Amino acid sequence: MLYALIPLEVILILYALGRSGLTLILGVSFTLVVLYLWSSRHRFGDGLMPLERREFPWLYDGIAKLAERAGIGMPKVYLLDDYIPNAYSFGNTIVLSLGLFEVLDRDEILAVAAHELGHIKNGDTILFPLITYGRYLFAVTTLTLLLLGSNIVKFLALLLYIGYEVERSSFMKGREFKADETALRLLRVPLSLRKALEELKYYEDLRETVKVSGVPSIEPSIERERKFTFIPETHPTYEERIWRITYEMNQLANRNLQ
Amino acid sequence: MEPHEFKLNEEGIKAVLPPLEAEIMEHMWKVKVATAGQVYEYMKEKHPDIRRSTVSILMNRLCERGLLKRRVERGRGGMRYIYSITTTREEFEVRVVQSILDALMENFREATYAYLSKIKK
Repeated sequence: MLYALIPLEVILILYALGRSGLTLILGVSFTLVVLYLWSSRHRFGDGLMPLERREFPWLYDGIAKLAERAGIGMPKVYLLDDYIPNAYSFGNTIVLSLGLFEVLDRDEILAVAAHELGHIKNGDTILFPLITYGRYLFAVTTLTLLLLGSNIVKFLALLLYIGYEVERSSFMKGREFKADETALRLLRVPLSLRKALEELKYYEDLRETVKVSGVPSIEPSIERERKFTFIPETHPTYEERIWRITYEMNQLANRNLQ
Repeated sequence: MEPHEFKLNEEGIKAVLPPLEAEIMEHMWKVKVATAGQVYEYMKEKHPDIRRSTVSILMNRLCERGLLKRRVERGRGGMRYIYSITTTREEFEVRVVQSILDALMENFREATYAYLSKIKK
């Protein structure tokens, strides 16, 4: 569905604006391709330090084994100087923040790395940027159609934009679940992924809670910036992921028993 | 760190810091330098249910308050954050007393003078 919406948008803009529409699409697409190529060749973010095997042999070897099990090459691994536990991936690269090492044990950190390897194996690290750039394309063309199009074109443009946002959210959530499923199959201790998510959820909850009865007087002032948005979430909640992981683990256990 | 609040019913630095942060600072003033993992092991003895996340959040909050500072250490044991104190306990106490007296002098100048002179006697 997501892939069908982009050609529909292109058809709509060609119908509404003719040659100018074609120029607009080619111009925006060219800019986005250049942006994509540039960003895929550059490191994301400051404070990234390459993982050295001599410093972290257990982590390096652990990720190498997971990559081998996944049937992909050893990814580039960077450590991020950030005390907030976080991980992300792009291209063939995994980034783990130093904050992860303060709150998770070794198996749990490898589980987080396995989830990111799942994204690489499933092609998400290529798909996600394309979908995001598709969103920019939609934003520019929708705005143009809202300014220049007839009433019916305006209506259709808005409908397509909302459709793209809803589909994008559902697609990306689905890919997060898929990365978890891949990680469960790669891990020696699948339970560690659930434990890692439970600890990360606890961390987030603690940061967001003004006063928690179990830990009096904790009023963390380090909450993440809250974004005001009407756009649907692209990440499933920790609860959703933990529930799905538990279900998947039970399925795996049942299959092993048969 | 300038204290903004003084709890009359609390003892020691718990009067100006939340209880768990005060406990972490007491420990940090003793050891001066530690990782969050080491502080977690210490805190766990007194609070068996405490989690690594709690200690990490509190230590970073103490960094924001300016009582601790954090740096990355690289070595054979891996890469990790090392926390160290920015001020001694004595310096911190002096700053607390100064802040409170400044606030009292600003708001209740005469009464504060009168009481301090009475204490001298």
